[in-house]
Amino acid sequence: MSKIILSSAIRGAHKIVDRVEGKINAALEKFGADQDVKLPNTAYYLPVIYGMTGYKVEKIGDMPKVIEMCRDLLPEVPSEEAWLPYLGPGLDAGMAACFAYDVEEALKYLEDPCPYLPMKEDPEDTDPDIWLGAADDVILRKRGVEFVDGSAPGFAAVVGAAKDVETAVAIAKELQEKSIYVFMAGPNPNGVTFAEQLKEGGVQLGWNTRLVPFGKDVSAAIHALGFATRAALTFGGIKPGDFKGNLLYNKYRVFAFVLALDEVDDEKYAAAAGAINWGFPTIADTDIPEILPTGVCTYEHVVSNIPQEEIVSKAIEVRGLKITITKIDIPVSYGPAFEGERIKKDAMHVELGGPKSMGFEFAYSKPLDEVEDGKFTVVGPDLDDVEVGGLLPIGIWIELAGRKFQEDFEPILERQCHHLLNGAEGVLHIGQRDIVWMRISKKAYEAGFRLKHFGTILHAKMHNEFGAIVDKVQVTIYTDEEKVKELLAVARNTWHERDNRLADMTDETTETYYSCTLCQSFAPTHVCVVTPERPGLCGAYNWLDCRASYEINPHGPNQPIEKGETIDERLGKWKGVDEFVGPASGNAFESFAAYSIMEDPMTSCGCFEAIAACLFAANAIMVVDRDYTGDTPCGMPFSTLAGTVGGGLQTPGFVGISKFYIGSKKFISAEGGLKRLAWMPKALKEQLKDLIDKRGEEIGIPNMYDLIATEENGTTEEEVMAFMSEVGHPALEMDPLM
Amino acid sequence: MAFSAVSEKYSGKMREMEIGTGDKKVVVGGQATMPFCTFDGDYPHRPVIAMEVYDVVDPEWPAAVVDPFKDVINDPVAWAKKNVEEYGAQMICLQLASTDPNGENRSADEAAALAKEMASALSVPLLVWGSGNVEKDADVLSKVCEVCEGMNLLVGPAVEENYKKIAAAALGYGHNVVSQSPIDVNMAKQMNILISNLGLPMEKIIMEPSTGALGYGVEYTYSVMERISLAALSQNDEKMQCPMINDLGKECWKAREVKLTDEEEPSFGPDMEKRGVLWEAMTAFDMLLAGSNLLIMRNPKAVKLTEQLISELM
Repeated sequence: MSKIILSSAIRGAHKIVDRVEGKINAALEKFGADQDVKLPNTAYYLPVIYGMTGYKVEKIGDMPKVIEMCRDLLPEVPSEEAWLPYLGPGLDAGMAACFAYDVEEALKYLEDPCPYLPMKEDPEDTDPDIWLGAADDVILRKRGVEFVDGSAPGFAAVVGAAKDVETAVAIAKELQEKSIYVFMAGPNPNGVTFAEQLKEGGVQLGWNTRLVPFGKDVSAAIHALGFATRAALTFGGIKPGDFKGNLLYNKYRVFAFVLALDEVDDEKYAAAAGAINWGFPTIADTDIPEILPTGVCTYEHVVSNIPQEEIVSKAIEVRGLKITITKIDIPVSYGPAFEGERIKKDAMHVELGGPKSMGFEFAYSKPLDEVEDGKFTVVGPDLDDVEVGGLLPIGIWIELAGRKFQEDFEPILERQCHHLLNGAEGVLHIGQRDIVWMRISKKAYEAGFRLKHFGTILHAKMHNEFGAIVDKVQVTIYTDEEKVKELLAVARNTWHERDNRLADMTDETTETYYSCTLCQSFAPTHVCVVTPERPGLCGAYNWLDCRASYEINPHGPNQPIEKGETIDERLGKWKGVDEFVGPASGNAFESFAAYSIMEDPMTSCGCFEAIAACLFAANAIMVVDRDYTGDTPCGMPFSTLAGTVGGGLQTPGFVGISKFYIGSKKFISAEGGLKRLAWMPKALKEQLKDLIDKRGEEIGIPNMYDLIATEENGTTEEEVMAFMSEVGHPALEMDPLM
Repeated sequence: MAFSAVSEKYSGKMREMEIGTGDKKVVVGGQATMPFCTFDGDYPHRPVIAMEVYDVVDPEWPAAVVDPFKDVINDPVAWAKKNVEEYGAQMICLQLASTDPNGENRSADEAAALAKEMASALSVPLLVWGSGNVEKDADVLSKVCEVCEGMNLLVGPAVEENYKKIAAAALGYGHNVVSQSPIDVNMAKQMNILISNLGLPMEKIIMEPSTGALGYGVEYTYSVMERISLAALSQNDEKMQCPMINDLGKECWKAREVKLTDEEEPSFGPDMEKRGVLWEAMTAFDMLLAGSNLLIMRNPKAVKLTEQLISELM
């Protein structure tokens, strides 16, 4: 397929270079070799040529050398029989076309009258024409800063014309709303240009509206690449001539793409091939052959046959561009200040879900083309359809898609609903999964708040906070009772699967663990190593959370650790973990054992949900949690223990743990695991009954729950030992702890 | 056997930052040892004090920091010149307090024009500090960068919520950036990474770890700075090797102990000026001993005491 495109591109490039060579010769004749040529107010000469090769074109006499460079780059037009060309020669041809265009456009500044409005930011009604030509360095700097700080996510180079003025205006508006610059150049086969269509549609053109008409000819599209090339020179510290550095800077930092509207001829193919060098893909509305495999561009290179109505969202997807939404478009205030807000019964317009009805929220992912970003639908009665103080069932159904999205991120995003929706003034949200309970205040209703605004909030916040993994968010709000019931059953199935997924993962079959150094702010030497079977000691970060946190914020406190070679399977020591722990703890520790309380136990920060401690005389261990304030058999209450264990120390005989870890196969498994557990506070024991029973079954002691003493049986080691012999505790028969 | 001193070896060193251009240029940082341990390694540059100038002065300021500037307090450029000519300031810090939306809410354009006027009028480099309002600072400081193109100023503070706009403008128009983090060693590092990911070289970043005055958390700041130094020097952590700055003047002069009169608190004694000066100088000493390269200070006498200490230690 791509052979057709690349052959066309090569043919087109030959045509362009031949034509420009003719123009140079004519200019030499008319003005002489010493005639200065330059783009207005720039230190970058002809920027594409200068950026790629370091060659400075200052006079017409410098131009023939450029044609020589083009000829060196240009491959032969391939014959019909050959399988070639592949991408490489096509890209070279594209680059040659770009060099030639750079020259062709520079020569326009010698024409009288000049077809451009040099040094102007916006065309005015009094100007003879709308075309601005190349941006000068002042504009470049001012606008380029926006590309660096992200307030402009990228640019669209539009070539050709939309099918009519209305569509042109709609496309431009959609790009503007996403803060994307629109660079326009070149007509469709009937001589119509996108920029002129916008003007006809009454749209204000210019840098200030981000709709920049570069030029009437396709060659003027080079000003877009010139802008990109100069951005890399100015902001990326790239040296002229470092073509690789320049092109990579653009690939990774300037999120640009080409929109080819209407028919694409050989010349436009050549220009598109040129743009691919910068990592800028082409999205076309006509049925041209595609180049899909990833290689030079981040994702696909040429995607075609996209209806003009969908072309912007497709382009964003293909370029991998991240959208940020600066303002959440809802009629009430939004911010963390409203998170703790309560809505009393008499202030409430409606109650959603809760104990008297059904309420759930559910997020899951789908393929990119099955999710429509920013689509919000309400199925069932809206807030206008209930009497004040009324009650509705609610199902918040969130469909997500993203290039980097993984199924495992679904629950993490789903859990965000609580704090995201609570941020709206006059919206109360309690619970998660199928125990969602919400209220909306009368004031919010009167201000115009409706159910679709849940969608607005979730869409904006998920893009902004989780843009690294989320590209598309679609939200449907169900208040129709039958529908809620039906979908709740679907959601419950998925939750069940999710719960089992992590439960089925084992440390043995997982190669990458994650660190957590969030607490180093107060415990400088502390490093948590989180494995699938050992959650972080705070209970807030399991392995999946850490992985998602890393994807979302690659420079954050959760870093991947390749566990590498196993040093000791019983203790849970791996070469990769030890190599990580050294530097990460400021060289305070050399080795960690994930499963031992006695030998190199993991450090504890201070956030542990519970502490496990050895009872040496009893040959057992005890666990005490934060909520229990009384004495414990080890002689210290929780607070004293916390002082001993916390602060980033390795304290053999003690270790900070999460409650959930007690049910894990790897719970202090080096010392025998749950079988060693002889004492815990009654409330904690009751809370964890299911976990203990399940694990008890697995280790062949189904009555394990009854063998663990609580404060009711005693709070001294002697009392615990007496209890142990009475019930026949398995730890009595085990190897000594020391 | 002759005595031979044991010397601590460090594998890393702090980066040097150049502020200002030509004759006005000042270099900070570059040390390869813990603070003032000149016997252990290279210590190429003296810590520098930037004396504060406000574009609007809070009427609650104690006399000790109004009297020295009484004649120029409503003319920031003249105040800056006085600091340089009379009090020997090596650098000036323009505090753009007037831009705070909760105060006078002066525009970014107005603030930037003042910054440019001051930078051009001075014989020393300029540091421009925002009001601390995250959103407004992004506008004001990026405007300052644009208007003062090529002057190689130091601007800040850039924080997690606004660093993109400030650092991008600094990159585009050739300035240095203060990266501020909330007393957290990991956040300090993360801010450096985030800013340098935008393309601003690490040589253009100086860290402000959030400064607490004496009695108001100075020990937290001290401990974070010490840990940053150790990570940079002992562990050769490249992401931590940016020099450090402390915005301490404003923290000291709002301390309760500095503002109370002896009628309100007889045990403090009647000499309010001495109390304030010592409060600021003591905080400055602490920051220097924690590894600071650049101090923002207000009172000329406190500055003089601090300069003396630096001279004795270097």
